Amino acid sequence: MSRIRYFARETWTNIRRNLTLTFAAILTVAVGVMLVGMGLMAGYASGNALDRWEGGVQFEVFLNPQIDPSQLDALGIELQTHPEIDRIEFFSAEEAYALVSQQMADQPELLAQVSPEALPASYRVVPRSVEAELIESLAAQFRQRPGVMSVQTGREEVDAIRTWFTSFQGIVLLLSIVLSGASVMLIFNSIRVAMFARRREIEVMKLVGATNSFIRFPFMLEGMLHGLIGGIIGAIAAGALRGHVEGLFSRSDILAFFRSFVVTSDQFTTVVIVTVIAGVLVGMIGSAFAASRFLDV
Amino acid sequence: MIRFDNVTKIYKGETRAVNGVTLNIEKGEFVFLVGPSGSGKSTMLRLMTCEEKVTAGDIHVAGKDLSKLNSWRVPYLRRNIGSVFQDFKLLPNKTVYQNVAFALEVIGRPENVIRTQVPAILELVGLEDKHRRFPDELSGGEQQRVSIARAFVNRPLILLADEPTGNLDPDTSEELTSLLDRINRTGTTVVMATHDRTIVDSMRRRVIALRHGELVRDEQRGAYGSETDSPEALGVHPVDGASP
Repeated sequence: MSRIRYFARETWTNIRRNLTLTFAAILTVAVGVMLVGMGLMAGYASGNALDRWEGGVQFEVFLNPQIDPSQLDALGIELQTHPEIDRIEFFSAEEAYALVSQQMADQPELLAQVSPEALPASYRVVPRSVEAELIESLAAQFRQRPGVMSVQTGREEVDAIRTWFTSFQGIVLLLSIVLSGASVMLIFNSIRVAMFARRREIEVMKLVGATNSFIRFPFMLEGMLHGLIGGIIGAIAAGALRGHVEGLFSRSDILAFFRSFVVTSDQFTTVVIVTVIAGVLVGMIGSAFAASRFLDV
Repeated sequence: MIRFDNVTKIYKGETRAVNGVTLNIEKGEFVFLVGPSGSGKSTMLRLMTCEEKVTAGDIHVAGKDLSKLNSWRVPYLRRNIGSVFQDFKLLPNKTVYQNVAFALEVIGRPENVIRTQVPAILELVGLEDKHRRFPDELSGGEQQRVSIARAFVNRPLILLADEPTGNLDPDTSEELTSLLDRINRTGTTVVMATHDRTIVDSMRRRVIALRHGELVRDEQRGAYGSETDSPEALGVHPVDGASP
């Protein structure tokens, strides 16, 4: 009990004494881990958007909502029996709606504006070939068929999007590494200053036989606390960023293409956990480094 | 309690601070360590608390072979050794009570032990009325008594004092030495490094004299002696933080 009170008191005194440096350290951690969260979310969003194009689906034939049932069947048979087509899958308007509602699960106000009838049914077509040119010409054959609204091949877009997201993630990752390094150094320094301010206490503690771990603990705790607070602020910032970007995509027609780039709430929970842990880790590394360097027996 | 076997300490390959010293201090002894500045008194004390490592030879303190002692065991050794210094090393932002309690707090003693031990030790050193004062509100002698209380509050087997009266006037020095004597009578081994001829001569206790890191005299009921004469030994050397 006296131990807990001692650690709490010492840690609080350190933080109060060293407010500006503490503040700088916490903010750097926050920005650094926010970038970690951002990179993670970009990965999730592009993964979610690209999911529908992966698993062999190479192009999608969207049907007019008012398509004649006989036209629907005829088209299905033609696709199924086509020598260059491996297999097809029918995707009804209800299924399309289910997918959209899953992706927009935590934005009910947006979902309310989408009605199941407005979404087109489609055939997802997997050709035998994987060559983009062949797929393009194959897709073109079905563009003019009655009842077909449009045919979308995704290959180039998918590739372009994937490249773009990969490089975006790379840049974000690099920035987050740089900032995490800066955070470690700032925490290292703020702990060093705290230790210097308490060098008399440390001297006396060593003299009377306090263990090294006992002497280090308040400083480690302080560094971890910097990291934790920074991590929480970073996670909040990442959440705000997510809301802002998704709102931007849904309001703007130009950016409508990006509407499928969403992060599910499960994935966002992971993002929060990862950012907070990253913050604590940064704090631990910085303070452990300082404590071990400036506290030899 | 303390045994040196042919102990040599060389700093940075240059100075021989302690040179081939062999001695044995029994439990409950009161020993004066005398000699001019630079004769190796402080180094001897620092070797006993593992603040310095020997270059050659063996030291046993409180039953432990210090050369075989793991660094993580050092704090536990120090809990058996109280240390008192010329400059007191009190924490200025803590009261008398807090300074003494701090020594128990940081070795994880429970609060009820602290609440009983600290007032008892403050009474022993005669500062029970001043437990709320801060160090800078006390005289030099009182500050040193606080530091003795802090060193002794955990009832160590050994008390090491490195020139504890160096900053104090003769009367206060005498009071302080009699306090150390009282502590010694409880069974605690006391080793006091000093320049103070008057005290050594009046106490008539065991005297170990050092010169250039070598043991030159070891007498059971000794006096200060002439081999330790030097300008510093006469007590005219400048001291920092002299008593108010």
